[in-house]
Amino acid sequence: MSQGYPITIYKEPDLRQSSLVLGWSEDVGNLGRKATDYLNQKLKGQEFAEIEPEDFFPLGGVVIEGNLARFPESKFYACQEHELVVFQSGSPGAEWYKFLNSVLDVAEHHCRVKELYILGAMISFSAHTTPRELLAVVNSTEMKKVLSQYDLARDMDYQTQPGERPTLNSFLLWVAKGRNIPGVSLWVPIPFYLAAMEDAQAQKKVLSFLNERLNLKIDFSDLDQEIREQNELLAQARSRFPQIDDYINRLESNLMLSEEENGELIKKIEEFLREGG
Amino acid sequence: MGIRLYQELQLENPILIASWPGIGNIGIIAVDTLRGVLEAEEFGEIEPWDFFYPKRVLIRKGVLEHLEFPSSKFYFKRIERKDTIFFIGEEQPTEGGRMYAEGKKAYHMANLVLDVAEKFKCRRVYTSGAAVALTHHTTKPRVWAVPNSESLIPEIRGYGNTVLMSDIEGRGGQGNITGLNGLLLGVAKKRGFEAICLMGEIPVYLQGLPLSYPKASKSVLEVLNHSLKIEVNLDKLDELDQEVGRRIEEFYQQIPSEIRGQLDRLKHAPYDRPAEPGPITEDEEKKIMEDVENFFKKRGGGG
Repeated sequence: MSQGYPITIYKEPDLRQSSLVLGWSEDVGNLGRKATDYLNQKLKGQEFAEIEPEDFFPLGGVVIEGNLARFPESKFYACQEHELVVFQSGSPGAEWYKFLNSVLDVAEHHCRVKELYILGAMISFSAHTTPRELLAVVNSTEMKKVLSQYDLARDMDYQTQPGERPTLNSFLLWVAKGRNIPGVSLWVPIPFYLAAMEDAQAQKKVLSFLNERLNLKIDFSDLDQEIREQNELLAQARSRFPQIDDYINRLESNLMLSEEENGELIKKIEEFLREGG
Repeated sequence: MGIRLYQELQLENPILIASWPGIGNIGIIAVDTLRGVLEAEEFGEIEPWDFFYPKRVLIRKGVLEHLEFPSSKFYFKRIERKDTIFFIGEEQPTEGGRMYAEGKKAYHMANLVLDVAEKFKCRRVYTSGAAVALTHHTTKPRVWAVPNSESLIPEIRGYGNTVLMSDIEGRGGQGNITGLNGLLLGVAKKRGFEAICLMGEIPVYLQGLPLSYPKASKSVLEVLNHSLKIEVNLDKLDELDQEVGRRIEEFYQQIPSEIRGQLDRLKHAPYDRPAEPGPITEDEEKKIMEDVENFFKKRGGGG
């Protein structure tokens, strides 16, 4: 435990001026989990700390997912050679402020984090053939200047709409601002019919930015192969099912589908991808 | 997590009137209307971060400029006879997806509100909420008053249009007040404040609708006016009542005529006078409740 927060440190990481990359494990297109797993795998991330779940997650049982019992995990990994900290966690259901401060406590006091990168995905009504873009929301004008040399959409205007609430990413960005930690919340739009699956292109988009920004020297050939395979599968789905092709053609022409058509496209693509084509 | 007071005040034996949202927003509309009419001045707040998830974000040109949380604010007004502190909570600090506050956070918030009351040597607290009752929306709602001390009962008996729980048939003086509007009453008792919760009646068939019920707020305000010995202009509340009344009537006309016929009988339900057998028997009362429940189930739940 540390400073009254429910944190367990297994091993003090040897970091001097690191960056924190954070991804939520339940994200649109599984982006947060996939991207942080990828970083850990490529950069040999070593687990060194975790946040205990009892204050933040409902513990009335376990969730079964993919035949396995899952338990809420909030873990920190250190990629020492690259001065990088990776945090992967489920989204807490309570005590958000305390949870987010716990994350930043570990980042500041144990990792000397100087910058924060929050990964997120959002649903897009574009076709998968549309190039992915990366949107950025920062918590300071200085951070905006720093990021001006990268291929990011940086001028977003947004205000919470009635009946909605801000995202946890915005909340974290705000808490980081209060602690003078420059941060950016990164958003990749993912085609709605891939939202419950995975989108290798979206992963590549966000990982490429991190690679460039943090000078990680990652070889993406395996991810490129995944993108090719996914695109091939989607092309097969289009050629085998004219209805799918028609829907995607319309999306490519910037036409909206009806709610029923959206539902049908999602169902058919998910079935097709799950069966592996 | 704490209290921020913006200015040092000298108040003379103030009373505290507090409210949070609840069924029909009856209490909070009453208290907020009074605060507005008296032009009470904001003087402090409870810091929100530990209690609430943010409610609004403002991003301009890619920069997060502002994150807004539900507010929990204190106001004051020096009134000739009685200085008054208002506390208005925009949301109840709920845990685990519940509708009303309970548990540690609710208890903590109630104590913070009373900390401010204590700082200004306040000894009397009013809260306000809703009483779900077998009444009809065309009748004037009464106010159910629940004190936290026996010594307040004679005073309450002097209020107009007000009943104690023991006056209500079938309740035997029992009941419960959910959420912070009730909890504050209990915490006040523990800390030695005298407190009264004033609950405006809302017809049972309206409790699940996403509508406020200003008609009952007005009844609560009349009681508060009497208790505080003030006269406030309630024209704005009347306007709101008329507007909501039209929407309620539209909803009411959508209820199948058989059920509506049963509900119409609530116009004459004297359930607080057990000595005089009224036009609705206990069996009929049960039947009305079942019919209303079935109607809402068929509609897909409370509106």
